[in-house]
Amino acid sequence: MKRWFGRLMLVAMLMLPLHAFAGVPLDTVKTNVNGVLEILGDPKLKGEAGKKVKEQRVEAAADKLFDYVELSKRTLGLNWNKFTPEQRKEFVELYRTILKNAYVDKITAYTNERVNFTKEVPLSETTVEVQSTVVSKGGETPIYYRVMKKENSWKVYDVVIEGVSLINNYRTQFREILGNNPPETLLETLRKKVGKK
Amino acid sequence: MTLWRKRINFSRPTISLVLLLFLFLGYPPLYAASDSPDPNIGSSVESPAAGKQAEEAGSVPVTTAEKPSDDEYGNVTEEEAGGGEELRIADPIEPFNRAIYHFNDKVYFWVWKPVAHGYKYVVPEDVRGIFSNFYENIKAPVRIVNNLLQGEPGFAAIELAKFFINSTLGVGGLRDCAKECFGINGRYADFGQTLGKYGVGFGFYLVLPLLGPSSPRDGVGWLADWALRPTTYVSSEWFSPESVGLYVHEKVNDTSFHLGEYEMIKDAAIDPYVAMRDIYIQYRMKLIER
Repeated sequence: MKRWFGRLMLVAMLMLPLHAFAGVPLDTVKTNVNGVLEILGDPKLKGEAGKKVKEQRVEAAADKLFDYVELSKRTLGLNWNKFTPEQRKEFVELYRTILKNAYVDKITAYTNERVNFTKEVPLSETTVEVQSTVVSKGGETPIYYRVMKKENSWKVYDVVIEGVSLINNYRTQFREILGNNPPETLLETLRKKVGKK
Repeated sequence: MTLWRKRINFSRPTISLVLLLFLFLGYPPLYAASDSPDPNIGSSVESPAAGKQAEEAGSVPVTTAEKPSDDEYGNVTEEEAGGGEELRIADPIEPFNRAIYHFNDKVYFWVWKPVAHGYKYVVPEDVRGIFSNFYENIKAPVRIVNNLLQGEPGFAAIELAKFFINSTLGVGGLRDCAKECFGINGRYADFGQTLGKYGVGFGFYLVLPLLGPSSPRDGVGWLADWALRPTTYVSSEWFSPESVGLYVHEKVNDTSFHLGEYEMIKDAAIDPYVAMRDIYIQYRMKLIER
């Protein structure tokens, strides 16, 4: 019995570092998402003023978690190469603003969802999918974050909700425009969209 | 079986109209991500191998070769760009589809959304949760039969067990006891998905009046699932006020948990029509691949 226990301990110890390593992408996303949930649920931030502060904090958290350049490259695919360096920079900024306007500002309305982080699945040597489930009384929604190792941290480059990939969705839309038009037309469309806000 | 006791009489215009309404209501999930195929999307795709498959299907960008790039705004290689593959669906009747999309959009904002809002205001969340459980439970035959047809007898048995547990311990399905008490997860399945697994393609993209994103295949699938829903048999008509009423209530109840989601999708989109079409195809493809 004692020997059995000793072996178990040994196995457990051997597994420990491996487990710690495997958990980094998940922990990174989890910490950031929980941080956002904390901001959203902060009872001190109420009313219009509180909403503004919430938005700013969520945006800051999102900037820390997302890699917008990687997101842009993967959305545009090879079309990225048709953009000049200046156009690329402008595109990344416009894309970031559109995502922020659409999601960050709206997310402040959510308060009582619970998020469970279930597991992480390696997609390639450098990319990992962190899987989570958002639980509400009406059911569960799977949300997967695809992350990539950048320098020393893990950054999100795609979000997959109920099997629908964010970057694939935008890629389809952008491709419709870039099919017959130069990059400038797409930029102009995005500028208009951002300007309307 | 009394399944065919009444033929659908398509010559009766009212019936056709109601039929269209159903197809539409059948798809709020696509806008609202409601009719949520449960936690199971995640749980059944959990092996890394399944993830790999999805990659090969081209929906997932893959970066294999690590290339140190000193300038993050530099060119991308084909690999880094995530391959050129993307899911596409034929859209030969796009002008028609676009017109119907705009019509449906108006129906959502003018009718469906206010109704769901009022309902949410009046009915407490816990009660709405109970309704969700009830409707999920009563749809068990759809999942059991389609799991069998998809060659998943194990999941069919699990769904059957869930149905028994929830109908008894869960007091007629008001509570998802199978999950809460025993941690049993079922597997979502529908007939459009079954056809997809048999190799039947979408056909083409079809936005139906009042109806929302669909395709000939999934429209047929919806009808088959309608025949498997116990609520269809509350009266002798295929589409009776009772079964329709229950269905509408199910969808309103569902939407009350997902208000604002379609709006968010629409706001985020450059071209909402294309965005919705892509969501539809990605969502359905995922259900068929897993």
